[in-house]
Amino acid sequence: MTEAQIIATLLDYIGGEDRTEATFERQALLIFAYQFENNQPYRRFAVKRGKTPLTVRSWRDIPAVPITAFKDLTLSCRPVEGIEHVFMTSGTTRGGVRGRSYHPTLAVYDRSMTLNFRQRFMQGPDGMRGLERIRMGILFPDEVAMPNSSLAHYLALAMRSFGTPDSAGFIGENGLDMPRLLATLERAEVSGEPYALLGASYSFVPLLDELQRLGRRFALPEGSRILDTGGFKGQSRELAADEFYDGLSGALGVPRSSCINMYGMTELSTQFYDDGNAVCPPLKSGPHWARSRVVNPITGQDVPDGATGVLVHHDLAHFNSVSAILTEDAGVAVPGGFRLLGRVDGADSKGCSVAVEEFLKAAQG
Amino acid sequence: MTEFAGHLPGFAIDEVDWRRLHFGAWGETVEVAVPMLSDAQSAALATRVRDNARNYLKTLSVTEIVAILDRAIARLLDRDDPWRQKAEALLPIVTGYDREMVRLGLTGYLKTFRGPQLQRFLSEDFANPQILDAFQPAVKGGFARAFGPDLLLHVWAGNVPGLPLWSLISGLLVKAGTIGKVPSAEPLLASWFARLIAEIDPRLGDCLAVVWWKGGDETQERIWLEQADVVVAYGGNDALAAVQKRLPVTTRYLPHGHKIGFGMVSRAALDTRKAGVLARQAAYDVIRYEQQGCYSPQMLFVERGGTVSPREFSGYVAHELASFSQKHPRRVLSIEEASAVANWRSAAELSTFGGDRDLIGDAHNDWSVVHVEDEQELAPSGLNRTLSVVAVDGLDDVVGLIAPYRSFLQSAGVAAEPEELFRLAGLLGQAGVTRISALGLMTSPEAGWHNDGRFNLLDLVTMTEIEHSAEAEAERFAPYAD
Repeated sequence: MTEAQIIATLLDYIGGEDRTEATFERQALLIFAYQFENNQPYRRFAVKRGKTPLTVRSWRDIPAVPITAFKDLTLSCRPVEGIEHVFMTSGTTRGGVRGRSYHPTLAVYDRSMTLNFRQRFMQGPDGMRGLERIRMGILFPDEVAMPNSSLAHYLALAMRSFGTPDSAGFIGENGLDMPRLLATLERAEVSGEPYALLGASYSFVPLLDELQRLGRRFALPEGSRILDTGGFKGQSRELAADEFYDGLSGALGVPRSSCINMYGMTELSTQFYDDGNAVCPPLKSGPHWARSRVVNPITGQDVPDGATGVLVHHDLAHFNSVSAILTEDAGVAVPGGFRLLGRVDGADSKGCSVAVEEFLKAAQG
Repeated sequence: MTEFAGHLPGFAIDEVDWRRLHFGAWGETVEVAVPMLSDAQSAALATRVRDNARNYLKTLSVTEIVAILDRAIARLLDRDDPWRQKAEALLPIVTGYDREMVRLGLTGYLKTFRGPQLQRFLSEDFANPQILDAFQPAVKGGFARAFGPDLLLHVWAGNVPGLPLWSLISGLLVKAGTIGKVPSAEPLLASWFARLIAEIDPRLGDCLAVVWWKGGDETQERIWLEQADVVVAYGGNDALAAVQKRLPVTTRYLPHGHKIGFGMVSRAALDTRKAGVLARQAAYDVIRYEQQGCYSPQMLFVERGGTVSPREFSGYVAHELASFSQKHPRRVLSIEEASAVANWRSAAELSTFGGDRDLIGDAHNDWSVVHVEDEQELAPSGLNRTLSVVAVDGLDDVVGLIAPYRSFLQSAGVAAEPEELFRLAGLLGQAGVTRISALGLMTSPEAGWHNDGRFNLLDLVTMTEIEHSAEAEAERFAPYAD
């Protein structure tokens, strides 16, 4: 199949109503065959694992690439020269080496994002008021400041597609514009119209600290909501989930059930959401074109039901790169999705031998 | 059943709050209660141990202390002794290490602390160990006596059974009132050892305490750090730096950071007759305590040009690891550990695309070897039976590959002919290696070794010197002076 055919097929599948397992299977095998044919490093990886389109019969057998491979290998089905959209990881985990995802077109990414976002954040879980558009405040730099950030693109797309015209970003060259944010929140509070604050989890922490310092609390109108993503990554102090959502809910007057955490990564074209964080960790799930498994990271095999393992995501929308990735996130499979338990990298030795993480850190000075 | 950790002279069990830690391995579980002292209790305990040590431990001679420690160690070596039986029963459940490995490891380790070995230990640091008992003539003139600290705090880490005994015994030999903080990962053996000493000599038992506090509990940590005269701490650099930050500037601090061990095999050792045995020895060093020890090898450098090639030697080591996994299966890994192994394996797998490398062992084995033909600097493996074997043209080349990591160096297992051994030892020592052993014995340092190249006893003491002038002057004031 050609790239154009793959894209057309995917756009059709993503936008369609056919959510059966059989169709996912057929699409997954199709895309695996395409990636195996066109993505040479992935092909070598798959062959080493003894997996080819001839031997793979089920989407669960499609070999998942560890996300670290996005740093070491050029995983793209078409030559990367001239590919306009390249999303890169922050490079914090391995001394500035950044993982890359190449997107010859953002049509599939954007379709995946908007359909899913509309369903999971705008419509939202039961009990939340469904909206077509909402006034948004973005706590993250924009696409101009961070042209290689998938999150910057995601948030810009959210604002473009679902924000009202008076939506705005609050992180500029000089960081968080606190006075403007506080003024905006004040206006939102009295407007009576729902307001949405979206951004990296760590961007909310200075806001919480500032409100605490001022002794200020907002009561945002009914229907307001919050989307955070990505955790704290050493960019702010670390908060436990309950502390974080209690803080948000207390400071902004948005119930925890309307605080939605998005789980996404540069190495994917689709995001996962929960239905609010009334209870943590909540169940997370993706749309019909993505599936997740919980595996033993060494063998790659599914762990028994209820056991903790590492998450593998199979995202058909990530067509140009690799659709099946082995993350460094721990999780438990539950009916309808999974619970995310945090990152599993950086295991310290239980004794006195030095482990990789500490060694790398020292080596980087 | 609940096993109580800690040793708290002067406190009844019900005077103290306990936290319960749960351990499970090999189909069994055990609950271990660790003490949670209040701030007031901690302060009282510090004072008590300090006073008791001053009144009793400091009045004992080194010979007497050695005799008591020897009796305690003898009990732990006796497989019919209830303490030993408890250790064999519970430590595999707490640490997850295979039973047979724990049993062999305990014996191998404890026998380095018998009376004669302790004397050797003393002689390594003191030309005349009696200097710990009384003023002894000094070579430069005058007299000198070594004093241990009144209160010595050990902050232990990790789950390798017995490691805390090293510094605990060192402290007692220099007559220090001793507080040991056990790690959550293995809180028992040091506690039992303290109670065993108390059983043998109750007054000595009152001169030491074994405590616990939750990692990161700054209040507790501060109380203890402020009380201690000397602090010996083990752990990762972040944890060690955190302790250092809270220490009064006048407190002597002896940190022992995490280390990486490696092996070196000379072409002289690589003939078909010797290589098999050597591979087995190297594999043994790898499986012992699942590479959790600071002395455990994570990489082997193998010289080209022998009858057995480095690549063949990798195969031998892999074969031996496979055979050990029958007799000593790997413990069940936590998700973090499994992930570390998986990350290491996948990095190795990916590097086979670009370099001359092989990943030996499939994902279902409980070991993996990466054979590396191109140049590779020293780097940690994924631990838990993962090993890189790096081919080098000459063993001298290894120096450049390890030199950037001086602060992490400690043990090297070397198989080479005598002349080469000494030449290499000189180069390795210069690069920061502090211990060179045979392969197969990397995880069993000999009695009296200098952990991390330091003087384990001398570092603890201060010397008080009577200068010749005082002694000579004193003569003038003697009742018999003319």
